[in-house]
Amino acid sequence: MERKGKRLVPWLMVLPVIALFLAMTIYPFGFMIWASFRDYDLSKGEETHFIGLSNYFQIFKDTTAIESMKFTAKLLAIAVSSELILGTLIAFLIRGVRGEKVIRSALIIPMMVPPAVSGVAWKMLYNFAFGPVNWFLSLFGVSRISWLGNSFYAQLGIIIIDIWQWTPFIFLMIYAGLQSIPQDLIDAARVDGADWGKVFLHIELPLLRPLILVALVLRIIDCLKTFDIVFMTTWGGPGSATHTYSFYVYKVGVSFGWNIGYASALSVILLIVSIILVNIVFRIVRMREQLGFGGE
Amino acid sequence: MKKFLAIMLIVIFSVFAMAATKISVLVSPDNADALQWLAQEFMKKNPDIKVEIVPLSWEVLYPKLLQDLRSKAGTFEAFTYDVMTTGAVSFGLVDLGEFMKEHPELLPEGYDLNDFIPAVLEEAGKWGGKLIGLPFYNNTMLFYYRKDLFEDPKIKKAFKEKYGKELTLPTTWEEVVDIAEFFTKKYNPKSPTEYGIALMFPRTHTLFYMYLLFFGEYRNAPLGILRHGKADLEYGEYFTEDHKPAFNSEEGLKALEMMKKLMAYSPDPLGSDYGETIEYFNQGLVAMVPQWTGPYLMFKTTLGADKVGIIPMPGRSVSGQWALGINKFIPEEKKIAAFKFITFATTKWADKNKFLKFAVAPARMSTLKDPGVRAADPRVPALEVTYVTQTHRPRIPEEPKLEDITVEYFSKILSGELPLSIDTLNELANKWKEILGK
Repeated sequence: MERKGKRLVPWLMVLPVIALFLAMTIYPFGFMIWASFRDYDLSKGEETHFIGLSNYFQIFKDTTAIESMKFTAKLLAIAVSSELILGTLIAFLIRGVRGEKVIRSALIIPMMVPPAVSGVAWKMLYNFAFGPVNWFLSLFGVSRISWLGNSFYAQLGIIIIDIWQWTPFIFLMIYAGLQSIPQDLIDAARVDGADWGKVFLHIELPLLRPLILVALVLRIIDCLKTFDIVFMTTWGGPGSATHTYSFYVYKVGVSFGWNIGYASALSVILLIVSIILVNIVFRIVRMREQLGFGGE
Repeated sequence: MKKFLAIMLIVIFSVFAMAATKISVLVSPDNADALQWLAQEFMKKNPDIKVEIVPLSWEVLYPKLLQDLRSKAGTFEAFTYDVMTTGAVSFGLVDLGEFMKEHPELLPEGYDLNDFIPAVLEEAGKWGGKLIGLPFYNNTMLFYYRKDLFEDPKIKKAFKEKYGKELTLPTTWEEVVDIAEFFTKKYNPKSPTEYGIALMFPRTHTLFYMYLLFFGEYRNAPLGILRHGKADLEYGEYFTEDHKPAFNSEEGLKALEMMKKLMAYSPDPLGSDYGETIEYFNQGLVAMVPQWTGPYLMFKTTLGADKVGIIPMPGRSVSGQWALGINKFIPEEKKIAAFKFITFATTKWADKNKFLKFAVAPARMSTLKDPGVRAADPRVPALEVTYVTQTHRPRIPEEPKLEDITVEYFSKILSGELPLSIDTLNELANKWKEILGK
């Protein structure tokens, strides 16, 4: 009896966590899948009913959904790759620099700012008449730019904010990785005559690859979820130029649509795309290893 | 021990009996300060009721209302709702007409429903023949201009020399074009302001109502009435009399052409919203700005009352009223407390004082006629005219969806991404028909 009680204790202790996990993750996930096959529109106030794959077919006819996919892909391609390159470069460049600790702390500040707050701040920075960005550009004879009212500049503006905010994240990961590389490996390479570039290419970069991969995966997932910055600055405009996919899901499901069924179908697609992209990244790395380009 | 328990029970019951009934009122930020003050005044007179005012931004308030009312959760007791969301939230509001009949004793002394401006009570307070809300903030758009510049003899002379006519206050958008050009440095290097007019055409709900300032002028002109019939309060000017889209017409096209024409004299119209345009006028960057009633206090404080002129909107204004309603899905005693508060907040006394103290535009005729109010606030004459002539957005439940798709099209047209043609407007009208199931 006593033994039975002892066996139950661990289960009882993890039960609250399991219950919370079921309530906060599994149930909403199941509900999303269920809703995606139904005509579930809160603004209509009618009973929901099964409509098969209609919500999914609707996505391919929805021009705003397609435009939001295009902009998200652009953001993913330009912002994430820029963050990766810049973050890695900065991590390498500040090593051993005078005041390294101060620079390191200062560099991670943008990451600490909540995206909603940075959205408000950047909206002021981009202000057409009184914004510091246009003032700074005017020093070089550039006339005022409509950062939030012109499709091209609005997209560029969002990309710049994303790079500003998330380059520090990549930097931090790479910088931490660099600290853990055994110094004797580098010293041995130097003794063998390797210069700075060779040490970087043949020792440091291959050893950092797992970290870079994790950073890349995290940024891809995060980038697909971009919402706050758009919400606070352009509201997806002009037209639908800066609609990110997540922002569009919010509009359909919460802000203007109240179409829970369609928003759920859009979310399921987002989930599938995220899984595919992350798997592609992992596969590329594994393929390189199999082909012998791994470096280790 | 038994004695102790009995005493404890009595104490606990007494505490519960004396505890105040707490009500939460969800409000938009525009209404928050006034309602906060009114809540304090109310609680002084009703210590048994505790009122908590919860300000939420427009973007958060409306989804929160819909979500809570649909789920019948009853997490708040009363709320302010924007006139255009009336149809969408109406199902979750208490029928105040019936409630008043059941509880006439709860009405504040001298409470006069007939004193509300009739059109405002109809538009903000009624849905499907029922009284579901009490008008609180009778917001509308006014046309602010730099009085000091318009009255400057040198500027008036320069204008006459350039255009061969007097610089007068504009009554139509056609008249605004010349004035806006005159006050834009790019077209008139001697202009005291850099731009003529601050316009807000962003990709938000703002563009949806801004369009009506222009469309309303043509839609409600005799020829427009002949073509589209009169607009009603349920569907508004965007629709014809028989509830079909009215904007895919010559009038609809003219409105967008006018908006595009004026964009040349405005700082970043597609990237500017409420806050930016207020700032442009406040900082002296522009000579004119169409804005809601609220920003007047800021203009008065920054520029000085003598520099700020107010006239009714050239063309037409647009109503932006807010009403106070009670959540249908709450217990009876909470409904009673909420009813006491919203009737208190909409009495003649409250209507007058919220206008004088917080610039929350009046919904009662007695306030507009009050000599003290007329002497204290220069907006009153313009408001009187505007309340009669203003246009209206649709109040039907589909409004948010219509709004979003419309703003997307208009934003693309104004930025040149879509052609400004009747075909584009017909395409938009077809999308409307899909949403409306017609």
